[in-house]
Amino acid sequence: MAFYLKVLEITCLQTIFVLGAYLMTGLTGLFSLGQGGFVLIGAYTAAVAYLKFHLAFPVAIALAILVGSVVGFLIGIPTLRLHRDYFLLVTFGFGEMVRAALLHLAQLTGGALGIAGIPQLVGLPMILISIAVITFFIANLKRSRFGRNCIAIRDDELAASLMGIHVYGYKMRVFVLSSAITSYGGALYAFVLMFIEPNLFNWLESAKLIVITFVGGINSITGAIISSVIYYSFGEFFRFIDVWRDVLLAVAVLLVTIFRSQGIFGSWEFSLRRILRRRTKAT
Amino acid sequence: MMDVLRVVDIKKNFGGVNAVDGFAMVQAKDEITGIIGPNGAGKTTVFNLITGVYPVDFGKIWFGDRDITALPSHRITALGIARTFQNIRLFRNLTVLENLKIAYGIRIRYTLWEEMVRYPTVGRSEKEGEDLAKNYLSYFGLEKYAGSFPYNLPYGLQRRLELARALMASPKLLLLDEPGAGLNPREIRQLMETILHIQTDNHLSIIVVEHHMELVMAICTTIHVLNFGKKIAQGKPEEIQHNDAVLQAYLGDKV
Repeated sequence: MAFYLKVLEITCLQTIFVLGAYLMTGLTGLFSLGQGGFVLIGAYTAAVAYLKFHLAFPVAIALAILVGSVVGFLIGIPTLRLHRDYFLLVTFGFGEMVRAALLHLAQLTGGALGIAGIPQLVGLPMILISIAVITFFIANLKRSRFGRNCIAIRDDELAASLMGIHVYGYKMRVFVLSSAITSYGGALYAFVLMFIEPNLFNWLESAKLIVITFVGGINSITGAIISSVIYYSFGEFFRFIDVWRDVLLAVAVLLVTIFRSQGIFGSWEFSLRRILRRRTKAT
Repeated sequence: MMDVLRVVDIKKNFGGVNAVDGFAMVQAKDEITGIIGPNGAGKTTVFNLITGVYPVDFGKIWFGDRDITALPSHRITALGIARTFQNIRLFRNLTVLENLKIAYGIRIRYTLWEEMVRYPTVGRSEKEGEDLAKNYLSYFGLEKYAGSFPYNLPYGLQRRLELARALMASPKLLLLDEPGAGLNPREIRQLMETILHIQTDNHLSIIVVEHHMELVMAICTTIHVLNFGKKIAQGKPEEIQHNDAVLQAYLGDKV
């Protein structure tokens, strides 16, 4: 039972990372392979702050968000002016750089041995509440000016700037927001796993976040969340078929991209209001 | 009376080609001006320079009493210059209604935080934008397409949608880049009426780049003729029609 609870917790944490990736890749069309860097920054900042500097747990978490956002801002200054493929390459480099730095700053981070003995202070309720709050934020952004402008930037940057949208400024806000969410998730991650090491989240894991966003449907937060939950829980519960689960998932991804290029959910969103309205209409 | 736009001797060079070579014009308030010229004459480049798509190599552009020469596109739009595009550029992942609301964005005042927690101001402002957008949709006969995606619309309606979107920003100056491209004669006549209507209804100043002479001659008070980046003629429609340099540029030398 404890095993399944752990699996569920980790699955839900991945959903937080997917939400961060959704904001960047799904909504704004920024392909970043550096999300892993922010997961690590969040996890290490929180763990080091808590264990080495004996800060209170909430302070450690807040510090992780702050450091993640500031790093996001600094990385964003030069990279967000770059074109698609170059941006991808630089963020890839950033993620790997963070990993390498953590390996070599052994005095602070424990190097390859990682940091052990982190107390388990985060449980499923806190993770679920976090997901709910983050989803609430992102959904609100998506259905007002911010989200519209992000989609416009994704579709046609030049036309967007001629509609009065400050493209660079918007990309920066998205990048910092996404970094903040991802480092927050990373901080929780440390207090769930109780042990962290630099290989926790490499660029392949970052790439998976993008794939999941696309399979779920780049215009659908609902799609991102559901496909994330299915992907990660599937991975854990089907360990007995071994390498075949990767093959199976790859085939699923291929089928979706070929037959439903808009993703499984397209632009469909779950809406409580719509359901309630239908209820009242029926009665 | 203050001129809406003053373009002073602007130049733009693309890898050795003088796309625009010393173009100047003055746009008077509430007037429709035409820019014509053979293909590759630099007409669209003039628009791109005015709206800040490319930096100007030389010269100055004044919008009212503001120097907008070095401003980025989004600031220029926010000041009150809207435009359409030669090859339609709608946002394919936004609905027709949302495409219009995009242009309304510069008039929205709520902040990022208010958006995130859905302050009441957000809902109110969104409603205002939506009402205005619906007005324009019905004005252009597009109301039944509000929820569809723009590239599912017939070509002629996509053109109208671009026009509606440009108006959503309530500009002072409207730049139309070949609004008649790909339209049939009947649609061209409709377009002429539409342009004249929106001009009087909104007290707009309009600059049109166009190939359809019939349209330009009918609606413009002043016409500038460009060839190889240089202005070869300027005047009223009837003057342009009988200008030797213009005839030569379009038809070649007299035999």
